[in-house]
Amino acid sequence: MKSFARIVLPVLIILSMVLSACTTPTAAPTQAAAPTAVKAAEATKAPVPTEVPAVVEPTQAPAGDTCGNVELQYWNPFTGPDGPFMGKMVEEFNASHPTIKVTMTSQGEYYTQLATAAAADTLPDVAIVHADQVPTQAFRNVLRPIDDLVVEMGITGADYPAGVWNAGEVAGHRYSIPLDIHPMTAFYNADLFKAAGFEAAPKTADEFNAVALAITAGDNKGFDITGGFPVQQIFQQMLHQFGGSEFNAEGTEATWNSEAGVKALQWMKDVQTKYSEPNLEVDAELNAFKTGSVGMVWNGIWQTTNVTGDGVEFDGRATAVPQIGPQMAVWAGSHQFTLPVHKTIDPCKDKAAAIFIKYMVENSVTWAKAGQIPASAAVRKSAEFLAIEPQASIAPSVEYAFFPPSVPGITDAYGPLGEAVGAVMNGTATDIKAALDDAAKRANEILAQNKTTYGSAPKAP
Amino acid sequence: MTAAVTRKHRFSLTPYLFILPHLIFFAVFIGYPFFSGLYISFFQYDVLRPEATVFVGLQNYLDLFKAGSVKFIEFWNSMQVTLTFVIFSVPFLVVIPLVLAVLLNIKVPGRNFFRAVYFAPWVLSCAVISLIWWWIFQSQGGLLNYYLKMLGLETPRWLSTMPYAMISIIIATVWWTMGYNMIIFLAALQDIPTDLYEAAEMDGAGSWARFVHVTLPLLRPVLVFIVITTIIASFNLLGQPMMMTRGAPAQPTGGGATEPVMLRIFTEGFVRPFQGSAAAMSVVVATIMVIFSFANFRIFRQRD
Repeated sequence: MKSFARIVLPVLIILSMVLSACTTPTAAPTQAAAPTAVKAAEATKAPVPTEVPAVVEPTQAPAGDTCGNVELQYWNPFTGPDGPFMGKMVEEFNASHPTIKVTMTSQGEYYTQLATAAAADTLPDVAIVHADQVPTQAFRNVLRPIDDLVVEMGITGADYPAGVWNAGEVAGHRYSIPLDIHPMTAFYNADLFKAAGFEAAPKTADEFNAVALAITAGDNKGFDITGGFPVQQIFQQMLHQFGGSEFNAEGTEATWNSEAGVKALQWMKDVQTKYSEPNLEVDAELNAFKTGSVGMVWNGIWQTTNVTGDGVEFDGRATAVPQIGPQMAVWAGSHQFTLPVHKTIDPCKDKAAAIFIKYMVENSVTWAKAGQIPASAAVRKSAEFLAIEPQASIAPSVEYAFFPPSVPGITDAYGPLGEAVGAVMNGTATDIKAALDDAAKRANEILAQNKTTYGSAPKAP
Repeated sequence: MTAAVTRKHRFSLTPYLFILPHLIFFAVFIGYPFFSGLYISFFQYDVLRPEATVFVGLQNYLDLFKAGSVKFIEFWNSMQVTLTFVIFSVPFLVVIPLVLAVLLNIKVPGRNFFRAVYFAPWVLSCAVISLIWWWIFQSQGGLLNYYLKMLGLETPRWLSTMPYAMISIIIATVWWTMGYNMIIFLAALQDIPTDLYEAAEMDGAGSWARFVHVTLPLLRPVLVFIVITTIIASFNLLGQPMMMTRGAPAQPTGGGATEPVMLRIFTEGFVRPFQGSAAAMSVVVATIMVIFSFANFRIFRQRD
C-alpha cells in the first residue's frame, strides 16, 4: 500500500483544496440573516437613554426599570429572502429599546434544532413556531403557556381571525401569539390573460375554467399543478370549499374521505387533465410559470417575489385564490411567537420578551413587505399596509383561512393524505374514493398512536 | 525462540496506548450510542418527555412485523426502496471503477489529469451533487430533457415517475462515489508486481487472459473490501433522495417510491417523536446489514 501514500493522498489533498472553494457558496444562503443580526447587536451599543422608548412606546415602561439591561435570544426559521426583513425589524427594535438587546438566529431543520436545544436546556427566550406545530411543541415540553403574559400585554383574540388565534391554544392554555398568516395564493400571467381576451383574475369556478381553457393551446398551459407539494394543501383548501374538513373537531378521526373530499380531488384531477402538464414534480409548476408558458399556478404567498414583478420577464401578478366550491376557504400557515421552556424562568426576560413580541406584532407592516399578511387586523387595516401590493389585495382572503385542530402530532396525520393526493395526481392511483379511504384508515391509526404517546395534556410547566 | 515466547506473554502497555485515542472516540461516538440505541428500542421513548417513557418490551419490534399496520407498510416499503437501490447501484459502483482503474493504470499521457477528473466528484458534499443532478433531471428547463427534446427523443419526468426517479438517484450516486472506489483499485493495481505480467506474457497470455488470471485473483482482497464497503454505503442512502425527489412519487399504499429506510428512521425519530420505535428500526436494519456483510465474506472465502 506504499502507492496509497504516493497517489491517493496527494490527489486527495490537492482536490480537496481546489474543490473546497466550490462547496462554500452553498453554505452562504443559510447565513444570509447573520449580518443583520450582528448589525442589530451593534445598533444597541449606542443607546439613547430614555427619550426614544418614550416616543415609540408611550404606553410601555422600559424593561430596564428594575431589571437593568436584558439580553434576549430570538430564533426563527427565516433562512430565505424573508430573513433580512425580520433582521431589520429586530434592528429597529433594538435601536428604540436601549435596555433590551435582541439577538436573532435564523436556522434550517428548525424543529430538530428546537428539540436538541430543549434536550440541552439551551432554548432561546423567544421563538417563532408554525401554527400547526404549536400543540406538538407544547406537549414535547419545548414551549410553555403564556396566559398571564398575554393578559399583561393587552393582546386579545379580538384582533385576530378566530382560526389563527385558536391555533395558539392548547389544552385550555395560550401558548402563542400570531405574527402573520401566509395563505395559498393565485399567481397569473397577465400577458397571457390579455392575449386570451381576459382582464381580471378568476373569482369563480366558471371564470377559472373559461380563462384556463382559453390559454391552454399548443405549448401553453392554463393551470399547472404538481404531484407533490403543494397539492395536499390545495386539496385541503378545496375540501373546505366543498364543505368538508380534514378531521373531526376533536382531532381524533380523519374525515377527508367524505363526499366533499371526493369532489375536491376529482376537481383537481380534472383541471390537471384539462389544463396542466401531467406528473410535474415539486416546484416544476413554478419553473414552468416563470418561462411564461403557464396562465395560472397556486402556491404559497411566499413565492410572490419569485414569480411576479422583477422575478419574471412578463407581467406576473398575485391575487387571492378563487372560490371554486359552494363556500370560500383558503389554506394558510401562520408564524407565531412563543416562549420556550427553561429550567429557571427569569421574570425580567419574560417582561422584555413581552415588550419585544408586542412591538413586533404592532410593527408587522415591515414583515408584510417580506411577502406575508400580518395576522393582526389592526395592522391589516392600517393605511401603511393597504399601500403594499399585492399583499393588500390578497389580505381579505385570510379571513377564510382554516387551521388544523389543536392536537399534538397532528402534522403526522397529514402524511397519508399527502401520499393519497400525490398518488392520484401522479396517476399511480385512479380510484379517488379508495385512495382517500385508505389514507384515512392509516391516519386514524397514527392519531390513535399519538393519543397514547402524548396523553391528554402537556406536563405542567 | 524462547525469547520470542516470553516476550509474547509479557504484558506491555505500549500497544494499548497507541489505540487509546481511537478507542476513546469509538467508545463515545459508536460504542455508547449502539448500546444506548439497543436499550431505547425496548421503550416508548421521547427524550423531551421523560415523564412519558414506558418500558414496552419487544412491542416496537412486533409493530414492525404486524402486517397491515402503518409502521409495517412504511418501514418495509422504505426497506424495499433501499434494497432496490443497493441491488442496482453496487454492481455499477464496483465494475465501472474497476474498468476505469485498469484503463488509467496504462501509461498514457495525461492519465494523472483523468485520475483527478474521475475522482473529483467524490470530494463534493452530498447536498452539492444532489442539487447539480436535480438541475440536470428536473422537467422544466432541466439540461437532460432539453437535449433529449432537441434530439426528438422521449422526455420522461425523471424525478416524479417510476422507475426514472430511482434511475436518477442511482446515476447521481454512481457519478459521485465511483472515484473513491477507482482510486483504491488503482492503488491495488500498482502493487501487483510487473514480473507476473511479464511471465504471463511469455507463456502466451493475451491482455484479457492477463486480466482474468493475474489481475483479478490478486485484486480479490481489495475487491472484497470494495464490495462490502460499497454495500454498506449504499444501505446508508439518505441525502440524494432527500434532496432530489423528497421520496416522491407518493404511493397510494403508503410511503414514497424513493423513500429510503434511513429517511424513514429519521422521520420516525426526529420529525415524529417515536425514538424508541426508530431505534428498533435501526436495530433491524443493522442486523440485515450484518447478515449481508457476513454472507459476502463467506461467498468470497469459499473460492479460496
